Amino acid sequence: MKTKKNSSKSDLKLFITILQKDIKSEIRQINDIFSIILFGIISIFIFSSSYNTINLGVLMPIEIFVIQIWLIIFFTLIFIMIKLFVQEKEKGTLYGLTSSPVSNSVLLISKVVFCFILLSFIELILILFSFFISIPSIQALNFNEFLYYIMIGIVLPTLDLSICGTLVSALSMYSKNKSFVLPLLLFPIILPITSPIMSLNIKLLEGELISMIVIELLFLMAHAILMFSILIFVSEELLSE
Amino acid sequence: MSNFNTILLECDNISKQYGFFFALNKISFHLDENSILGVIGANGAGKTTLIKILAGLTSPTSGKIVIKGKNYKANDKSIKQIIGTITNKSFLYEELTIYENLKFFSKLYSIYDKSTFKDKIDYYAKKFNLSNWIFEPISNLSTGMKQKVEIIRILIQNPSILLLDEPFSGLDFNTIKLLVKILIELKEKENLTIVIATHKIEVAQEISDKILILKRGKISKLAPINEIDKNEIESYF
Repeated sequence: MKTKKNSSKSDLKLFITILQKDIKSEIRQINDIFSIILFGIISIFIFSSSYNTINLGVLMPIEIFVIQIWLIIFFTLIFIMIKLFVQEKEKGTLYGLTSSPVSNSVLLISKVVFCFILLSFIELILILFSFFISIPSIQALNFNEFLYYIMIGIVLPTLDLSICGTLVSALSMYSKNKSFVLPLLLFPIILPITSPIMSLNIKLLEGELISMIVIELLFLMAHAILMFSILIFVSEELLSE
Repeated sequence: MSNFNTILLECDNISKQYGFFFALNKISFHLDENSILGVIGANGAGKTTLIKILAGLTSPTSGKIVIKGKNYKANDKSIKQIIGTITNKSFLYEELTIYENLKFFSKLYSIYDKSTFKDKIDYYAKKFNLSNWIFEPISNLSTGMKQKVEIIRILIQNPSILLLDEPFSGLDFNTIKLLVKILIELKEKENLTIVIATHKIEVAQEISDKILILKRGKISKLAPINEIDKNEIESYF
């Protein structure tokens, strides 16, 4: 039992080491993040401008606002996925990780968390920006409702997307046509959750109670658990060439 | 003095198949402790595949590898702890400094000791003439300097086996000479066992105790260095 405890402790240390390295590396290549954010901001601006041109003076409905935001987030995920395994494989640094005594599951979990942190950071900026640019017709949410929205409407879907992104990034890194395979694999995996994510966000922004979003919530959680189980289950095959 | 050498690495009938293509086909050999094995062969002979299998980067389709009496498949974590690998692609993170890279890898191998790490780095940096570059990002270094950092990375790890895949590619004559000197020194002073896959026949002859010639995934010849000459090696290409 003591050995198991020690092994978990050392796995946790390794997980933190890899995550720290990834964050430090990313900060040193800050231009990449700026480019992704710029892509998101320009997309929001173009989308909002075209909406406002057609519907003069009408506030953007919540449904359109949510679709706009999540559509841009799905594309953002593709850029981040390249950073997870594809780039490490191309540079050769992945071999440094896989030839070390770090278990593949620790490596994959650290990449999921890294993807989650990066995606959350970019989402935060994009959502704040879109609230000001798109001006959706949202009634003032109180603090609790806003907290619910962040925790359930943003954090849970982001975690699910991060798991899917890591899985697809690892699956496609050995492919010769990565740029083609990456979105091709990602869309069938995230397609089932697009509708629950939108519905969840719309209902939360309309100020509906938790009891009204149970089905979407359960679906998202089940999808996240299923994808995570697949990721861990095939971890040995995923990272072996 | 005993003439008996301890077998450190044993490959038993290892094969690697990609679809219908055999990158390695029933390879068997063993390697004694504190020796250098030069693996040579033409492009596509299976050198890199062999190094990748030994480094744990890919699994053999069939066959068994035993290192220090332990089955690789069943003990991969503890075996990877004693293997140091250098390939033609750098393991170092270009945007991090030499210091940060070495710290990361020593943490990865659970050998990081805050109290001694700085002294260790200073010692190796001095030895490899990199003292002024320790806090420089890897992207600012030349190919030769990067290769030196790769060597420091594995020295800090303190391995028993060193796997090198084309370590001399892209290096000038003087750097190759220096690396050869370092490798011989490592074998003699640190008692390392080295497997080196290279195109450079002269270098392989200079440093190896044993030569393994691969041709289309199969062993063409495996012999001590004194039993094989350059012309014979060239005839296999």
